[in-house]
Amino acid sequence: MKRIVLSVIFAALFSVTALSQNYYVYVTAESEDEVSVIKFDGKKAETIKNIQVGVWPQEIEGPHGITVDPSGEYWYLSLAHGNPYGRLYKYKTGTDEVVGSVELGLFPASMQISPVTGLLYCVNFNLHGDMVPSTVSVVDVESMTELDQITTGAMPHGSRISSDGMKHYSVAMMSGELFEIDAFNLKVARTLDLDEASKGLVDHSTMDHSKMDHSAMDKKEEKPKEMDHSKMDHSKMDHSKMDMGGMKHSAFKPTWVSPHPSKDLVYVAGNGAAEVLEIDTKTWKATRKFITDKGPYNIDLSPDGKYMVVSYKTAAKTGIWDLETGKELASLDNSQKVTHGVAISSDSRYAFVSVEGKNDDPGMVDVIDLKTLKVVDTAYLGKQAGGIAFWKVED
Amino acid sequence: MKRLLVTVLFVLLSTGLQAQKKIVISAEDITLEVGEKLPLEAYVTNNGEKTEDRVRLFSRDKKKVFIDSVGVAHAFLPGKVTILAITAGARHSFDITVNAPAISEIKIGNIPERIYKGSPVQFNYTVIDKAGLTRKDVRPQLSSSNEKIATIDPFGYVHSTREGEVTITARLDEIENTVRINILKNPVSNIELEVDNGEGRTGDVFHFKATALDDNGNAVVQIPIRYSFNGIADDVSTTASGLIRQDGSFVADKAGIYTVIASAGVASAQKTLRISPRNIQRKIKTVGQGMVSEKFTSDLWVWEGEDGRDYAVTGTWSADGTAYFWDVTDPSNISRIDSIQVDARTVNDVKVSEDGNVTVISREGASNRKNGLVILDTSNPRDVKIHATYDKNLTGGVHNVFIDKGYVYALSAGQKYYIIDIKDPKNPVAVSKFELDTPGHSIHDVWVQDGIAYSSNWSDGIQLVDVGNGIAGGSPENPVQFASYTYPSGDNHAAFPFKSKSTGKFYVIGGDEVFPYAENGSYLAGGYLHMIDFTDLDNPQEVARFEIPFAGSHNYWVDEETETLYATFYNGGVRVVDISGELMGDLLAQGREITFFMPGDPNGFIPNMPQTWGAQLHKGHLFYSDMHSGLWASKVEPPKAENVKIKTK
Repeated sequence: MKRIVLSVIFAALFSVTALSQNYYVYVTAESEDEVSVIKFDGKKAETIKNIQVGVWPQEIEGPHGITVDPSGEYWYLSLAHGNPYGRLYKYKTGTDEVVGSVELGLFPASMQISPVTGLLYCVNFNLHGDMVPSTVSVVDVESMTELDQITTGAMPHGSRISSDGMKHYSVAMMSGELFEIDAFNLKVARTLDLDEASKGLVDHSTMDHSKMDHSAMDKKEEKPKEMDHSKMDHSKMDHSKMDMGGMKHSAFKPTWVSPHPSKDLVYVAGNGAAEVLEIDTKTWKATRKFITDKGPYNIDLSPDGKYMVVSYKTAAKTGIWDLETGKELASLDNSQKVTHGVAISSDSRYAFVSVEGKNDDPGMVDVIDLKTLKVVDTAYLGKQAGGIAFWKVED
Repeated sequence: MKRLLVTVLFVLLSTGLQAQKKIVISAEDITLEVGEKLPLEAYVTNNGEKTEDRVRLFSRDKKKVFIDSVGVAHAFLPGKVTILAITAGARHSFDITVNAPAISEIKIGNIPERIYKGSPVQFNYTVIDKAGLTRKDVRPQLSSSNEKIATIDPFGYVHSTREGEVTITARLDEIENTVRINILKNPVSNIELEVDNGEGRTGDVFHFKATALDDNGNAVVQIPIRYSFNGIADDVSTTASGLIRQDGSFVADKAGIYTVIASAGVASAQKTLRISPRNIQRKIKTVGQGMVSEKFTSDLWVWEGEDGRDYAVTGTWSADGTAYFWDVTDPSNISRIDSIQVDARTVNDVKVSEDGNVTVISREGASNRKNGLVILDTSNPRDVKIHATYDKNLTGGVHNVFIDKGYVYALSAGQKYYIIDIKDPKNPVAVSKFELDTPGHSIHDVWVQDGIAYSSNWSDGIQLVDVGNGIAGGSPENPVQFASYTYPSGDNHAAFPFKSKSTGKFYVIGGDEVFPYAENGSYLAGGYLHMIDFTDLDNPQEVARFEIPFAGSHNYWVDEETETLYATFYNGGVRVVDISGELMGDLLAQGREITFFMPGDPNGFIPNMPQTWGAQLHKGHLFYSDMHSGLWASKVEPPKAENVKIKTK
């Protein structure tokens, strides 16, 4: 009885606390050249500010990647399109005034600042370029100077820092590789062929079934279409008609990587393979595979390490996974087509999911309660909501 | 709670520990010479104790000082550079100064073979330092050994007052160079000055020819002749401005009396001209409008359909991927007859084939990020159908396209253009591409006429490519670049050829696109039109400009028959410009603007705010698109008879 009373009091207190908190995220509207500030009070999500970005009113400059620095003082925005190089902009949080900018590479996209080195690492996506290796730009954000460009693979995307701040991870969408960069000496430390890594897990004959979470597979048996691996059999594909520019054309098509907040694990979205791979960064081997809905695109992990939230771009859904059990707890319909980015609040309570839409659809941000596993509300912004970054939670 | 306390303690401890971390640089007051290398020693102390933490050093200006991966500083260029030192949890910055190398040489050039008394000549000089760098931050002292014979000013002009030998010295630090010159008697006793016309209008180009003659009436050929002018404008509050070049060409901006002077030493001659107002202004009358009030409008194209009626297509910008089709046969009654929506947010450009049966629209902002082209069947513009979509190599977005003789020229990701055979419009096939190889090259537009593709390449300027003209053996399958022109601002956004019938000259009009205007944001555009004389393909010359204050150029159209330019200037509306005759100087100041119109509409997408995109002359009507109000048709009224004053509202 005592336990029940305590639980009720705790729940009530928690509820009051949660209701009295406001959450803020920054979201890009890539086809509107705007960044919106979304406020969520536990029930209602709304755009409270639109910030025009770029300098060309008659050209869409494409705000794509966005991140807030570890101190929360500044936010950083990549504008994809330039002549021809894109730029990184630095804004003051709150006032949202521009305080600096620097030219980066072709189509700069996602990025993050290491709390240890203080440097910002931004992938130059070169989304529409030839199938040639692109780079990761390293920026001293104090002076907004590009210090280096580190060559990785074709169409690098996802740009996340390990929890110790010392490693940078990105994936190359077209060459199907995972890159680990030493955030300190700015060299590629390791690469992993994700197509091979994925195949390695699919090949059941060589797998140690005792370490597999069969409960997760059982669930997937209910979705035979998604388990149809025959579609991934490259030997049956006619690669001769594909223009690969002499480079491997990945079927796995990785689009994102997120490190675990406390373990030596990273999670890679295989957009082409409809799966997320868990990679052990100690052994540099894939350890688990999460079969997802179509088009897993971005990933964020809750700071408490319990949840993995995956945007399913093609399916227009968001998947919420229990990292411990490997089970998909929910697959929620998003408010419209083309699900894009995910940012989870610092208290691990809510996931904010940007949804691009199509044509003149407004961009949207669906707020998902990770406790109830429901979409709580949707905020509206300019066209093609994309990059999203959690800013703060305050009472 | 216990866990929370531990966490807080850990954070506090960590912060405290990190606060004691310090990066130590063995020598912070570092000065290097260009070319010098210096291993930098950097380490970390924690509470005063040296640790094994790694330190990484970065230069904030790698062009001047580069720090390699093992911490060696390489000094490349003079200046002060901040070096950033980073370790886990701490950072520190310090400066390295690279000394400017000592001067090693002063080169003096452009010394004429003969220098005549009283005839100023200008010397060039170049300062070279010991690192082999050309130094523009220093100026040598220039002096003459005998100022009674000649003096030299800081700009290198030698002014001679007597005959005789004199030494000109350029000195900087301990380095000097001298040149001995002999001032000769000036043989010129007279100058004959001729001009091709005694009177004219503002904007007319006069060609003066001065001949220096000696006492015997013989021409003195190797003597520099300087041209200058002065004048008095008819309007007393206006400056009698104009432009004179040292080849003797002169143009006046304002009506008035101008005197052109040619001089060689003390000899000079002058001629005075009466300049009349150009007086070509006409009225422009709005004939009709096809309103688009629900979204931004982009480009337009107007054509005659196979049924003999006239049609137009307009795109939309940052909207829903729609293109609109219009019947403009009666420009006073423009009617929207069809539309087509594609997966895009912007249909930036629209172009129609010569026979009107095929239209190509460009896509940007496709939901699957695969942009490209959509090829339309417009044989019946009232029932437009899609022939094909095409995105191979074009997924980055097609900003501009052009159709010429069964080929589409399509920009790809702002870096190159592909040439796509659409003779079978349902099965487009790329046959070639054109791309520069300059560092960071980019492209904005391409226009094809008479087998020449004129591309606009921002800082790489205007590129002329043979795609079937034959001038350089090119074809659509084998584009061959044969001429180019760049200008310093690097703002080249559009290019349009103009063969001047009245002069025989071949101009290419290069247009800027600049945002924002000066330091101000908002919708005020900057930039202007550059008139480039390409008559000598190997040596194109920028000769004139058309600039509207507080507005910037966008797209334009030239009617070669009447030698008239129709230019859109975003917030400056549409401008009609007389480009007849030779072009030189400031065309607006010369009164060459015939008329203009600002198409603001109270019911526009943004009311009463012109933002004019593109213009096209079709069957005597001027059609133009405005971002905020759609498609417009106007008629420039005929020139009024001389001495007839018409005043109307």
